[in-house]
Amino acid sequence: MTTAMTIGHSETRTAVVTPGQPHQVELSWGPTRHARRLLTLALAGLTIAVLTRRAEFAATAAPALLLLAAWRQDRPRRILVSATLTARRMIEGEYAAVQVTVSGYGALAVELRIDPASAITPGPPGSAAPSGPSDDGPADDGPDRDAQPSLPFLATRWGRRQVGVLEITLRDRWRISEGRAAVPLPWIDCYPQPARQRSRVVLSRLPSRLGEHAARVPGEGSEFAGVRGFIPGDRQRRINWPATTRRGSLQLNTFAAERVQNVVVLADGTADVGSPGSTTSDLVHRGAAGTVRAYLAARDRVGFIAYRSQVSWITPGTGQRQFLRVMDAMLAEPGSWDERSGIRRLPRAALPPGALIIVFSPLLDNRLVGTLRDLRGRGFTLLIVDVLNADPGGGKDRFAELARRIWRMEQDAIRFSLRELGIPVVHWDGEQSLDEPLAPYTRRVMVSRR
Amino acid sequence: MTRKTSARLTARARSTVAAGLLAAACVAWSASPLADGGTGSPLALIVGISCGALAVTRLAVGDRVTDAGVFETRVDRIWRLLLEVLQAGPWAGGLVIAALALEALHPSRPWHTGLLAVALIAFLFAVHLVESGARPAALRPQLPVLAAGLGLLVLCCGAALLPAAGTGPASGLLRVFAAVAAVAAGALALPV
Repeated sequence: MTTAMTIGHSETRTAVVTPGQPHQVELSWGPTRHARRLLTLALAGLTIAVLTRRAEFAATAAPALLLLAAWRQDRPRRILVSATLTARRMIEGEYAAVQVTVSGYGALAVELRIDPASAITPGPPGSAAPSGPSDDGPADDGPDRDAQPSLPFLATRWGRRQVGVLEITLRDRWRISEGRAAVPLPWIDCYPQPARQRSRVVLSRLPSRLGEHAARVPGEGSEFAGVRGFIPGDRQRRINWPATTRRGSLQLNTFAAERVQNVVVLADGTADVGSPGSTTSDLVHRGAAGTVRAYLAARDRVGFIAYRSQVSWITPGTGQRQFLRVMDAMLAEPGSWDERSGIRRLPRAALPPGALIIVFSPLLDNRLVGTLRDLRGRGFTLLIVDVLNADPGGGKDRFAELARRIWRMEQDAIRFSLRELGIPVVHWDGEQSLDEPLAPYTRRVMVSRR
Repeated sequence: MTRKTSARLTARARSTVAAGLLAAACVAWSASPLADGGTGSPLALIVGISCGALAVTRLAVGDRVTDAGVFETRVDRIWRLLLEVLQAGPWAGGLVIAALALEALHPSRPWHTGLLAVALIAFLFAVHLVESGARPAALRPQLPVLAAGLGLLVLCCGAALLPAAGTGPASGLLRVFAAVAAVAAGALALPV
């Protein structure tokens, strides 16, 4: 789509469009920039001609005035517009498109353009279908037809936001007059880009629910656990004949039970520091999304706690629907800050017994550090993924450097105290896969200590 | 980049260069000879050159919109404001006024003024083609009107070359009104 003109919102009339439903939009007509320039030439020529009494300057106005005489009045006052998004949910960095249908514009040329909202970038030019009559020749004077172009756009940051405003410009065939209208586009849910994670941390003690993780207790799973003597009532198909031959008595294969794991992902959104695009809040939500996806892929039960100015949570569940519920919870607007709403003790409803709690946080909020200590005291197994990648700014003088050193020492002390409580703290920079910082805990089961 | 996009960019660059050359030609033509110009000629020349340069720069920059980001630095903000001023200013219109003023500061020379008018119209259409992204073929429907306008222009210039019909002070003004009336009649009679 061409981007020949930017339309100021104050100049245009707006109408809210329900997705997919055609709406009548009123146009405001005016001269194009080309027409204004021709008018400037004509007026300047005539004025100079009168002031200097030289007829040749009146001649300079002749071509411009004849072209401006083509200003026709048969213009539509309203057109029918419908705008539909190809996707209401998307992941940051993905392209989507607005399907626009315009009708009732007669033989005029239509130009569509997205005036993007924050963190929305219009798609590459040329990817949208052309609309209206071609510039190669005269406009069609035939019957009215619908223009159905597709305007691609890119969401550069996660969040729930409006795509922007659709600017519609109608021009006559000589581009002397143009009608403009602005239509607000629908909202989209842009989810954070999930971090890469293939391996999973598995606890040594798992709840007795059927799942896919091999537990330490024998059961009906498929992973070989050992050999024991035959007891009447055992299934004969599990007899290990080589072992039976060696020992002279019937031996039986035993298998590990397969259990599900309860995982709760805690995303700390209390702080948002760092360079734009990779702030601590960005890393927290991308990391949390990656972990939720990895555990749900292993058919584990995953819960989510959004720790912001107010705490909200989703009880553990499984499946794709749970993933979408967690993503929607990430995008939900937190309530306003209230000191009384800050709770140090997370409710039991959000924390199933024996759950693994994976915390994504820059550990800048003392309230959260207190909450983590409380959780450890209640016997939960925690693993903290530290996403702090920024230092405090300030001057470069000696005192600023001293203050930064003290701040770093405080941060180190917080992490040291958590490790002393038996809470592993790993650092993730947002670039690498989550498998790398979690590697010491994914190679073998993580022993849950009371 | 696709072949179609590349061709569009090449066409846009060609039109921009053409607009720049026409702008330079208009200013140079209206200013020559520099010695014959009146007292305001240097000022009009400076305004014309500045407006021409800014108009061509604006065409080269296009309608690129820079978002005012939350983390915008001071340099970015100044650059964005300069870009907004460049995009909002009527530089092509300024060049037209400056060129006509320069021409008016010289002694009467109707054929010279007529050629300047043709060059100014060509410049305005070149600017229009760059802004709209249309190809020159898009101007085909306007050719009859343009031809009629140029014919009127030649007639008016020819009339201006004729010796004055009267000797009174109103004879010049009468010739102007006659030219304006001819143009207005042509515009009203045009079967658009």
